[in-house]
Amino acid sequence: MITPIKALRKNRFKTALIFMSMSVSIAAIFLISAISGGVVSMYSAMLKTDGDIIVTQKGIADTFFSDINRSMVDNIAQIEGVREAGALILGAAPVEPLPIVGIYGVSENRFKSYTLTQGSTPKNGEVILGSKIYETLKHPKTIILSKQKFVVSGVFKSRIGFEDGGVVMNLHDGGVLFHKSASIFLVSLDDLAKSDRVVKKINTLNPDIEAKTTDSFIDSYNQFKIIKTSSDVIGAMAFLMGILGIVSMMSMVVNDRKTEFGIMRSIGLSSWVIIKKLLAETLIIALVAFSFALALSLGVLELIEHADKFQGYINGEITVSLVVNVFVVSVVMAMLGTLLPAIYAARIDPMTLIQRGGA
Amino acid sequence: MRIQAKNIEHYYGIEHVLRGVDISIEAGSFTAIIGESGSGKTTLLSILSTLLNPTSGEVTFDEKAISELGNIDVFRRHNIGFVFQFHYLISYLTLRENIALSALDEDSVESLMESLGIGRLAARYSDEVSGGERQRAAIARALVNRPAVVFADEPTGNLDTKNALGVYELFKHFSQEGTGFVVASHDKKIADYADTIIEMEDGKIVKILKR
Repeated sequence: MITPIKALRKNRFKTALIFMSMSVSIAAIFLISAISGGVVSMYSAMLKTDGDIIVTQKGIADTFFSDINRSMVDNIAQIEGVREAGALILGAAPVEPLPIVGIYGVSENRFKSYTLTQGSTPKNGEVILGSKIYETLKHPKTIILSKQKFVVSGVFKSRIGFEDGGVVMNLHDGGVLFHKSASIFLVSLDDLAKSDRVVKKINTLNPDIEAKTTDSFIDSYNQFKIIKTSSDVIGAMAFLMGILGIVSMMSMVVNDRKTEFGIMRSIGLSSWVIIKKLLAETLIIALVAFSFALALSLGVLELIEHADKFQGYINGEITVSLVVNVFVVSVVMAMLGTLLPAIYAARIDPMTLIQRGGA
Repeated sequence: MRIQAKNIEHYYGIEHVLRGVDISIEAGSFTAIIGESGSGKTTLLSILSTLLNPTSGEVTFDEKAISELGNIDVFRRHNIGFVFQFHYLISYLTLRENIALSALDEDSVESLMESLGIGRLAARYSDEVSGGERQRAAIARALVNRPAVVFADEPTGNLDTKNALGVYELFKHFSQEGTGFVVASHDKKIADYADTIIEMEDGKIVKILKR
């Protein structure tokens, strides 16, 4: 291990360039995966709160466009095995000076999901604010939504960024604001094992609604698939860019060190020894770059999380499985990027050394 | 080990550099190939040392053709050493690490360095020692696996007379211990040390002198 480190120190400038190229690629993969994972995870957590089953308008692509009759929630609540059913309106609107804020109209029984740190639950014409937006707006007494003034009746704290940076009002006001009865129903059960039976019963109530277990809804939710696919594509591009960066830099390194590899070939070291040597050098850079990129990504995510500009909506999530996956990707990136230049190095003809010296 | 080259012809493009060369080299001998630049001595050395395939003709090691020697890298590591005109030591490795690079038995490195008079320089880098010391380290690298033959191409080309004669003395000393040396040089002084002197001109052997 000492020899590769010495070789890297000898070629400091190019080592630094490879390190930077790998760090940027790995950090990009970390960040895009963490941010997309965070968005999915936050929205999933929000839906899962008091919701074992989710009911939406049938065939709708996005919960924001869903419109269902809130009166059905009482029928659902009567179904055997249902502990509680609540309606929720999901919307978004500008709140001066913020261009877009998540607005949630919720039925009375759902207010208990919001832990108030001050004030009381909202009555008509009132709202409660997440602690993040409350701070961003500098402790407002009232806010304007679609030209209507609402009194801030309380502040709640939520670990879910979409809620902590959002505005919650009662279902009536939400309905008036967004011209709909309800977006979704969240149904909690006494016994999760009976979820399939309850889902079937709900689906027979009205042909315009569609019930799914929350897990099944999350798995099939189009928006999540789009976010995940976009994240995978951008991650793959960062991976390819990383490989191309390594290939080009390692090709320059091999060219600079032709004599060294020619000597190794002339003294009988096998091609595999030379390939292993170069792979070991890049692996060392990859390990350092991975650690650096992880620290950098954690720092950037921390900054984003606390940046007022993002209203707490972007909460990157670096899980253990993400760390393990990106580590594997980093090693594969280093190995793939080094392989071609290493094979070229292993084929350097020692004759070139002799021809430099004599006739 | 006996190295034989039979009717070797070699072309670089349309340039005919070796013309029907026949030569036989015994292990433990000190053979000097002398001639002017362009006479073909470096090409012959490269072919004898398995680094270059001749256009036609055959090289055998103990009557075995190169194709019968198995993995040529392994064969070269065990049986052949090289000394180039430039030392070609790897600059980020110490002299000891350079010599140990291909060593089959690392324990022999220190004693070899001592016998070449560079033992005290083991931890130095190539840019921290003199030209003569660098070339001694290069010779140690060639000898570290006690090969049957060491090929040297203009090994004193970058040395002053004193250091050049020191290198020839070393070759003589190790050839007496059983390692064969084949040295291509245009330095006439090598003739005082070699057992066999092969003179080349225009790709042909024009004279063989045995002592």
